[in-house]
Amino acid sequence: MAEDTFLADDLLRQLMSVGEVDLLVGISTHNAANPVRQAVQVIEQSYQQHFIRQRVVIVLMDGSEEKDGDGTSEAAPVVAGKGNVRVPGITSLRTIHRVTASFSTPPLPGVALRTILAVADLLRARACAVVSSTSTNLSADSIAKLLGPVYREKFDLVAPLYTRHKYQGLLVRNLLYPMSRAVFGSGIREIFPSEWGFSGRLATHCLNQRVWQEEAIRARPEAWMAISAIGSDFSCCQAYLGEKTPPAGAAGTDIVEILRQTVGGLFWCLENEQDFWFDIDKSVSVPTFGPAPELTSEATEMDRHRIFEMFRTGVSDLEPILSSILDPETHAEIKNMVALEEGKFRFRSDLWVRTLYDFAASYHHAVINRDHLVQALAPLYRGMTHSFLVEHADSSPSEIEAANEMLCSEFELQKSYLRERWKAKIEVKS
Amino acid sequence: MRETILQGLEQAYWNFVHMIAEFLPHFVVMLIIIAVGLLVAFVLRYCLRALLRLTRLDRVSEEAGASRVLRMAHLPAMSELLSRSLFWVTWFAFILIGLSVLGVASLQAQISRLLQFLPEVFIAILILFLGVAIANFLSRAALLAAVNAGLPSARIISWAIRFVIWILAITMTLEELGLAKQTVIAAFSIVFGATMLGLAIAFGLGGQDLARRFLERHWGDTKKGRDKEPQPL
Repeated sequence: MAEDTFLADDLLRQLMSVGEVDLLVGISTHNAANPVRQAVQVIEQSYQQHFIRQRVVIVLMDGSEEKDGDGTSEAAPVVAGKGNVRVPGITSLRTIHRVTASFSTPPLPGVALRTILAVADLLRARACAVVSSTSTNLSADSIAKLLGPVYREKFDLVAPLYTRHKYQGLLVRNLLYPMSRAVFGSGIREIFPSEWGFSGRLATHCLNQRVWQEEAIRARPEAWMAISAIGSDFSCCQAYLGEKTPPAGAAGTDIVEILRQTVGGLFWCLENEQDFWFDIDKSVSVPTFGPAPELTSEATEMDRHRIFEMFRTGVSDLEPILSSILDPETHAEIKNMVALEEGKFRFRSDLWVRTLYDFAASYHHAVINRDHLVQALAPLYRGMTHSFLVEHADSSPSEIEAANEMLCSEFELQKSYLRERWKAKIEVKS
Repeated sequence: MRETILQGLEQAYWNFVHMIAEFLPHFVVMLIIIAVGLLVAFVLRYCLRALLRLTRLDRVSEEAGASRVLRMAHLPAMSELLSRSLFWVTWFAFILIGLSVLGVASLQAQISRLLQFLPEVFIAILILFLGVAIANFLSRAALLAAVNAGLPSARIISWAIRFVIWILAITMTLEELGLAKQTVIAAFSIVFGATMLGLAIAFGLGGQDLARRFLERHWGDTKKGRDKEPQPL
């Protein structure tokens, strides 16, 4: 193990009593006992239904802020390892162990993942999965679909695939997936999943990387793990997990924060893995388990006008910032678009691709503060969202899928533009 | 009479020779000091430039927006500017020391004052540039936050922040130089106070609706307003 000192003594004591395991599922408890209790029950059901003979463990990240006098949290009964759920008619041949890593406050995703990887490494787990307690599509089957390809088919990374509403996941569909596919050459659709599976081999590999203190990794480590797997020739696949719906009672969408975490994380990966991706020209598809993901299209109310207004005023107000990020030609085209009426406005895919490549290159050259740079993308993303909502108001799922495939091709076609811009400033500076 | 004139001339000649004999070594010492100063200033400039490049000051300055201001003023990059400033300050200090060796009584006091003043000039330049860099960074952060929150007049908010920090930096610079301390502080207090009072009155009286919308958006029913944008993930 890369660093054997950051795990707490109490956690190490628990791990010694567990011994080696075949399967491990890690779950971040954060600050809510009930979703954790449900998640633990689902994981136990999955173990009892699908992995009866295997040695298994559940790893919980307990970051409850409200502790009792003895320092235990509300989630303590859940994490104490007592009273496994029994599925009628099925008897597990092994004890389902539970271990808990306690934190004084909810751990950041990067800290939680690093702890889970270290536990997996110490227990020599063969197949692991990380799930979120707030995930809406957590089921015994979905956990088995994440662990199965690693344990039985010897894959190293299992990314999820979901059925979504056609207006959901637009950042994934219009930016994260096509850009990561074109740049890194792998058709993994969800590079920022809320649950995914991986091998013990990949866990050890990632644990040994010196990235854990980086802000981007502490905030959202998922994409980096997937890109590390692609870059180091680990075998990757995807598994269909069913429908993904937003968590009930979710506090809404903070687009800027999501962009900072995901797009900022993706740009960070571009910066740090440039030796790997720079010469890749074509993308390859990855094996997929289960049916192809679908889109649903129930009627949904969207405030298109407000989204367009935020795009228009954003581009106009941020002109000095955008002029330092974008190529003059790209910037001029965007300014021309802003002058159009709302009904006539469309964000062309070639312009969208050039815009993103300009942002990526400017992030690389740090033309302005990198966090500010990613924030400046928000109005343009809103413009793309508006364009998508108008263009695909009456499109069928297959038409949307075809348009997405064309966008992916556009990203691949213009990759030479990214290379040019990536190198251009280096030459000027040197 | 003739002898007296000759004696006078001889006296004047010997006085001149004595003066030259006394002045020349001092002058040579002054030249040596200035030459050594030039060498020391070159070495310091080279060392500081290397150090600043090692610490990637230019990148930080670029990110903070200070480099942009420098480019607009046709000035070199931040590391080059600071190392050149150090060069001139150092050499100027050596020139003053050299001049003081000449022993011209009236110059001594002025040189001494100038020598005491030099570090303050350097610190003043530093304060000014830090002020510009901080003003650019914070005004840009405010502009982005205001634009992405959908606030009207985002540019005015950003500009106001930049203006206040510039005023503060200029005031601190002038205070460091000791120029019209009382006037500067009084002027700053009046400008700053008037700006804040004006904003408070304008926002309180003219912007009631805006304030209500702002508060509703940020502390009201957040789900209601935000659900009308598609989930990005």
